Amino acid sequence: MGIRVELTYDMGKAIGEHAFELDAAATVADVVEQTRTRFGAGGEEFAKLARVARVAVNGVLVSHREGMKTKLADGDRVGFVKAAAGG
Amino acid sequence: MIKGYAGRVLEIDLATREVAWKPLDEDVARDYIGGKGYGTRLLYDRTEAGIDPLGPENPLIFATGPLNGSVAPQSNRFAVVCKSPLTGGIGNATCGGNYAYGMKRAGIDVIVVSHQSERPVRLEIDGDRDEVRFVDADDLWGLGTYETQEKLGKKLSHAVIGPAGENRVLYAGIVSNERIAGRTGVGAVMGSKRLKAISVTGSRKLEMDDPAAFKTYTKEVRELFKDHPVLGSSMKRFGTGGIVNTTNGRGILPTRNFQKGHFDDAVSISGEYMEDHELVGVKTSCIHCPVTCGRDVEIEGKGRVKGPEYETLALLGSNLEIGDLKEVNVWNYLADDLGMDTISLGASLSFAMELSERGIWDAGIRFGDPDGISALIEDIGHRRGAGNELADGTKRMSEKFGGHAFAMHVKGLEMSAYDPRGSFAQGVEYATTNRGGCHVQGASMYMESTGPLTINPQNLKLKADIPVLMQNNACAINSMVLCIFTTYGMIPKQLHEMDPSSLSFRAISKVFENLGPMMRIAMGVKGSPLLWFEKWLTYITGTTFSSGHLQEIGGRIFNLERMYNLREGLTGKDDTLPPRMLEESIFDTMDAGHPLGELLPRYYALRGWDADGVPLRRTLEKLRVEV
Repeated sequence: MGIRVELTYDMGKAIGEHAFELDAAATVADVVEQTRTRFGAGGEEFAKLARVARVAVNGVLVSHREGMKTKLADGDRVGFVKAAAGG
Repeated sequence: MIKGYAGRVLEIDLATREVAWKPLDEDVARDYIGGKGYGTRLLYDRTEAGIDPLGPENPLIFATGPLNGSVAPQSNRFAVVCKSPLTGGIGNATCGGNYAYGMKRAGIDVIVVSHQSERPVRLEIDGDRDEVRFVDADDLWGLGTYETQEKLGKKLSHAVIGPAGENRVLYAGIVSNERIAGRTGVGAVMGSKRLKAISVTGSRKLEMDDPAAFKTYTKEVRELFKDHPVLGSSMKRFGTGGIVNTTNGRGILPTRNFQKGHFDDAVSISGEYMEDHELVGVKTSCIHCPVTCGRDVEIEGKGRVKGPEYETLALLGSNLEIGDLKEVNVWNYLADDLGMDTISLGASLSFAMELSERGIWDAGIRFGDPDGISALIEDIGHRRGAGNELADGTKRMSEKFGGHAFAMHVKGLEMSAYDPRGSFAQGVEYATTNRGGCHVQGASMYMESTGPLTINPQNLKLKADIPVLMQNNACAINSMVLCIFTTYGMIPKQLHEMDPSSLSFRAISKVFENLGPMMRIAMGVKGSPLLWFEKWLTYITGTTFSSGHLQEIGGRIFNLERMYNLREGLTGKDDTLPPRMLEESIFDTMDAGHPLGELLPRYYALRGWDADGVPLRRTLEKLRVEV
């Protein structure tokens, strides 16, 4: 099953996929790092796009969990979420 | 007459075809502003308890406010007020387009339509000549809202119904241009009167107390909006659909009749995807609105039409497990043309799908399968076959077939597209809002789960306080009559642009979450106008409006609505959420659903209501709510 990672729309456009599966990741920090590598060397673009995103695990922001140290389990969903929108 | 008002109420009796031009009640205008507030006061005072919402005794009230007719951004909306045929309580909805502007140009603040016509009729109102023409509408009866408006031409501003209103679909709306007063079935009431359209014209100008200050300040606000990350960027680029990926990421995007809050294919129904793949332009902004949240898409055989907005994308997309935007575009067009609310429509469809899934009743549609949905939407609009059942909404369907636990409505009004299990304040707002399960009578979700603040939306802190303040604010805004989206501007650009992981940002969120009483005090201060709509009201009317003034007026309107509902037989027991929302968890952080039972007592206390949800006498006296 692994970990499903969902990106903000702009992040997804930058690398040509909006979601992907990771075989394993122990914490949110691991997911962030593995996601960063998909943006190529330097990571500037990732840093720019991730700056305006929140990170959530199964819909709950990691700021309300254990932050980047939040532990993950098989089947979890980690989302980079656009911070604000009106609807 | 107070500046900003035309000073006239037009009374039209469809049975006798008598017309009367009456002066606006300035005392009511001072206490209730206009729009929804003025309309609610009229409805309360003029009707007996227990009237049939679709009978002749239910008046249909079109009401503008002092901001209408100006060039203030987001200010051209009118309110429609009547008893709701869907909920049996207060019915109201607001609508953009150009009709509000037309009413004020015609020199009319409020139109009260009474009784019923024997034959289909439409009204042509020339405010310059004080003339009302009753025109036979047999030729328009049965036509969709697009064709009806096309035939009526562009010289006048129109409010029309489609077949859904004619056939008294309980969630039919009233359409102006491509916008709809969608909620609570106001279109069914118009249909019950056999009134196909009202068209207005005139050349009067809005009189303001300080036009120079208004003009200068409005220019500033336009710049402010242009720079705002939501109003000037996200909504401008993606429409309201720009929120799909946010609600999906936060686990509150209704999916499979609210069985889930996350949809794997959400990206393909998002505003961003629409911009990249479906958008053909933006022509559907309301008059004078720089936000231009309307999207245009192309429908095969119909050409360029208004695209779906967020609620539609969610209720007709993820909630049906449909990830094909082209399908949603078509269903949105059908609903607009038939003239019905896509929120109630989508929830009724998803409820029918779950009934079918459980083997209870089969309307012939399935989750994840677009087959049969277009035909069923047409059947709903015309009350044919299974469509006749869905035309009554989820509450009545659940009473007939069962499935109360997963009928997603509050007080009979289907819930909007923010799952309250991940947005506790929004849940309290749904439960307590007088017209039922709606998000634009407060928009609490923006303060906790869809805006830039990162307070925890799943604890009890502030979750009863936010709805009170936001509902009061929305009551005032819906009485000016301004677009509720203006509230998104209340959180400044600077906060949006802060790094959410920074210490200062986290400190702001924490302070906000822990300062409920301070916030209530701050918003209750009757001082100088600070926000743009407070200043506009002040410049236009010549009376000072601050946050404290608007909180008081909003509270007055909210309590009057509450008293109307109590009079019509609703009670505190109706301040609830669907059992699925209270009992089923969709988050690994929760064992059960929304903790409404823990929040409602505090909400009632903040409102000055007793334990049964009845406003205390001293509350009504303090707010000067006469009942």
